[in-house]
Amino acid sequence: MIQETIITIISALFILAGLIFFLGAAMGLLRFPDFYTRMHAAGKGDTLSSLLVVLGFAIYQLHDFTSIQSDWPVILVIFKLLAICTFIMITSPTSTHALMNAGWEDDIEPEVKGKEANDLAKDFPEK
Amino acid sequence: MKWLALLAVCATGSLLIYGVSDFPDWGSANSPANGGVEGAGASISEVFIEETETLTKVPNIVTAVLADYRGYDTMFETVVIFAAGMAIFAIIRVMRDTEQTQDKTQLDSSVDGDHQRIIVGTTCRILIPVIQLFALYVVAHGHHSPGGGFQGGVILGASFILIGLAGNLETAMQRFSEKQFVSMACIGIFIYAGFGLLGQFLGGDFLEYGVLQKVLLTDGEPMARSHSMLGVEIGVALTVTAIMFAIYANLASKGELKNGL
Repeated sequence: MIQETIITIISALFILAGLIFFLGAAMGLLRFPDFYTRMHAAGKGDTLSSLLVVLGFAIYQLHDFTSIQSDWPVILVIFKLLAICTFIMITSPTSTHALMNAGWEDDIEPEVKGKEANDLAKDFPEK
Repeated sequence: MKWLALLAVCATGSLLIYGVSDFPDWGSANSPANGGVEGAGASISEVFIEETETLTKVPNIVTAVLADYRGYDTMFETVVIFAAGMAIFAIIRVMRDTEQTQDKTQLDSSVDGDHQRIIVGTTCRILIPVIQLFALYVVAHGHHSPGGGFQGGVILGASFILIGLAGNLETAMQRFSEKQFVSMACIGIFIYAGFGLLGQFLGGDFLEYGVLQKVLLTDGEPMARSHSMLGVEIGVALTVTAIMFAIYANLASKGELKNGL
């Protein structure tokens, strides 16, 4: 009984933290000034928050777990959720990177205070 | 010619709308699906829900309905996908040799991975085997859990599209050439129709899977139906995979199948 309560609370904390980061990502997407900073908010915030939420689900699965022999379907669900975590962790930053790269190749100018701050332009002087 | 096409579309549309008047009322308790036809026993839904498991040994009723009870319909759904691919092939595939427009240096840098491509390329190298394995799982497990030929085929096709998007179309075409995907699409249809015809040769109806027990050497007719559904799903998956990639390859390269996106 006490084990169930503790695990429910831990998973709720994970999911709440994920939701807070989701809120941050959504606000960043709306409020940041240019394409690159918006993608930064969406990429970082979405990755971390979906990871936290899915991890919260995985922890919640443990709440009526007694032994490996009798509860192997629970283990299977946890394994699938962890697989989703890995998948998100690999794909989400990559898609953000690819979008940013496409934006740079399409000559979207980043918002900078003075041209010196744009280090990427120094790396690609031909642009 | 345009007016003729418009006339044909309007005629077909009005026939379809006319057919709606024969439908049972919305939510009617006496429709064949809910209440059954008078004097014909239990309704269709009841039969599907109660007897699918014993008659076909397939826990997933959706797949049983899709691949067995209305297998004829699903066969032509697959043919529709095949026809869509062939239509795109017929409309935009350019058969004459066009000169190589892309300069070689640009092509090489994207294959060998300059630093802009290295992240995307590495991610694809890690993920594509997993995606393809998952696609095969979805196909093979279609009659036990959600999934099946269409879904698995789309995932498998998407993995090849991902190769094309991450590198370039040539890289993807090296792994899945035009000859391969066109013949794969045909083989898929052939497998499906072959299961139907095999049933006829063994004395049953077209797509009657129960009689295939003599060929599949299974333990009773229900198991034969289960295995035949798997075979049919594999056929669907082959066609869908090939057509998905064929559509992408043709659209992305304006029908030249080189210098894609």
